Amino acid sequence: MKVVEINDVYKTYHDTEVEVRAVSGVTLGFEKGDFAVIVGPSGSGKTTLLNLIGGLDQPTAGEILVAGHRLSELKPSELIDFRMEHVGFVFQSYNLIPVLTAAENVGFIMSLQKWPKEKRIARTGELLDAVGLSDRHNSRPSQLSGGQQQRVAVARALAPRPEFILADEPTANLDSKSAETLLDIMEKLNREEEMTFIFSTHDVRVMKRARRVITLEDGKVVSDVRTNHTS
Amino acid sequence: MITSIAWKNVWRNRTRSLTVIAAVTVGVFASVFALAAINSSIVQRIDSAVSEELSHIQVNTKEFRSSSDIHGIIPEPEKVAGILRNTPGVTDVTGRIIVRGIASTPAGSAGVEINGIDTAREKEMFTLYRKLIPGTGSYFGADTRLNSAFIGEKLARELYIIRYILSPESFTALVEKGVPAAVAEKLKPLEGVRFTTEKKLTEAYSGLLSAKEIKKYGLLVRETAWSYREGSRIILSFLDMNGNQTGAAFRICGIYRTNNDFFEAMSVFVPDAELRKLTGMEDGVYHRFIAKLEEDDLTDRVTPVLKEALPGLEVMNWKEIQVDLAMIADYINQIYAIFMVLILAALSFGIVNTMLMAVLERTRELGMLSAVGMNRRRIFMMIMLESVFLSVVGGFAGMAVSGIVIGITGHTGINLVKYSEGLEAFGYSAHLYPTIGADFFIILTVLIVLTGILSAIYPARKALQLNPVEALRGE
Repeated sequence: MKVVEINDVYKTYHDTEVEVRAVSGVTLGFEKGDFAVIVGPSGSGKTTLLNLIGGLDQPTAGEILVAGHRLSELKPSELIDFRMEHVGFVFQSYNLIPVLTAAENVGFIMSLQKWPKEKRIARTGELLDAVGLSDRHNSRPSQLSGGQQQRVAVARALAPRPEFILADEPTANLDSKSAETLLDIMEKLNREEEMTFIFSTHDVRVMKRARRVITLEDGKVVSDVRTNHTS
Repeated sequence: MITSIAWKNVWRNRTRSLTVIAAVTVGVFASVFALAAINSSIVQRIDSAVSEELSHIQVNTKEFRSSSDIHGIIPEPEKVAGILRNTPGVTDVTGRIIVRGIASTPAGSAGVEINGIDTAREKEMFTLYRKLIPGTGSYFGADTRLNSAFIGEKLARELYIIRYILSPESFTALVEKGVPAAVAEKLKPLEGVRFTTEKKLTEAYSGLLSAKEIKKYGLLVRETAWSYREGSRIILSFLDMNGNQTGAAFRICGIYRTNNDFFEAMSVFVPDAELRKLTGMEDGVYHRFIAKLEEDDLTDRVTPVLKEALPGLEVMNWKEIQVDLAMIADYINQIYAIFMVLILAALSFGIVNTMLMAVLERTRELGMLSAVGMNRRRIFMMIMLESVFLSVVGGFAGMAVSGIVIGITGHTGINLVKYSEGLEAFGYSAHLYPTIGADFFIILTVLIVLTGILSAIYPARKALQLNPVEALRGE
């Protein structure tokens, strides 16, 4: 079952007098349970493509369908709701809310969605267990290591049970051990919860774990390879 | 959750938030306390005007207030008094005969308004008798002679009845009151010298004492030197009913001190029987009836009733007689509200600046919040709540400090005796007892919350203009 369908998508930026084509005629599809990475050199359009899939940005041409929603037809306010309901984001620099504890960060989107308190607490506990932070419920981000913060970010992204997770360079700021731990957790969640992960990365460690590697160059897909790696 | 995040965000940069909160606290305290002090001055002035000088409603012939013609007596006084007494809300009525004349002593003279009063009834209706200066006699007691006069301190000074003398006993008294013997010794050259005014005495001892000693002991020296010979006489002269110059010597039974220099200088009170005898006015006729009401608030309701009931006469309440006071009384809350709006508007610039810095520092975080699904309304609400918390915490702290300080100074009073000459010239007391109504704090709370909301608009708009993609890229 296709979670994301990208049909001949273009994204052009106008930087003063120069026109920059960040994504150029990309057509891709992502299945439920994919563990895919988008790779490519800097400026190849990885992050732009991720932003387009996540509804953070609108394509100049082409269309993107996510969970049956044609993103170009959604109004800005509907796009915000769409992101909250269907997409989980993991950012390179964690982007946790510094004034909230780990548990509050994980429960944040659920509280925006008005989950009942008991269900929210239960889901938070379950996810912090899953990312190995069951003893850090009350820790603030400043009291956690980078790896731990990113695990909280993963738990936050997973909390409202989105259709898929978009992770932009999630291991870029982590040491090897933390990166491996994080990838182990994401692989496990992918396997056990059949959660779809789409990464953009430069990190070989992530590429090695991926079951699908899409390579972008100058905004175009130059290869889309399914690997033999099984998690 | 939004409320909780907003509250926690306020304390992310403690120093900055506390600085703004402190500014709001000081601003609110300073303005509330200033208003309480002004309010007390006005309340005291109105209270003394009504209870000591005017009462609630006065009735006289239409020309009497401007002409003061001795023939301006109220027709059918029994009937008028009856109407007044039977009007609901009126608790007491008295009549006065009033003549303009000259008060004089061998040392000076002054134009005065001589009020012939029913001394016992007036004691029931006015509190002027409580303003008697201790040691100057009494308010028309049972043993008071018929030709007695109760006069104000200001008039007594103008007639040089009050003088300032440092007698040998004064020096002993000064030392007993805590003035060091060395300081008292410095004042010795002034022993026995008669000063006609307080100002002249002050000028004299200022040349003998240091600035510090003047500040510390000046008031004591003035109080001790204050001298009045009990039973002094004044001559009151005026025209009688036949237009002949008449008058008599009156023994001063007591001297009153109010906060209104003009009233003190002008108003002389004598028993009406004595004034009737001298002017040739018959018993039972009056120039003015004065009515006291159950409550001040009844003034506006009872006045039109009496105006309708007494069409041929001039019926005026205290607000119409003292128009300036009435205007202040009627508009005081609006004046306070405008004052507070101006203060809070000034404080809001500090809040806007702080919130703007907070938004600009949190660009990436706001981008993340928008990315994960926090809509514009919630982001606006979060920023607005932060701003409201800043203003409300500062505002409530300011109100709490004001409440405490007003509570203390309302009890102990604030002594502005240094400015008493100026204040009392306009009828205001030099001793303030700050007070402000609870309703003012309710209005203030609403204004503070509004300040928080309005201060959030610009920073929140900045936050809403952020593009999540660019914000997430930002440092």
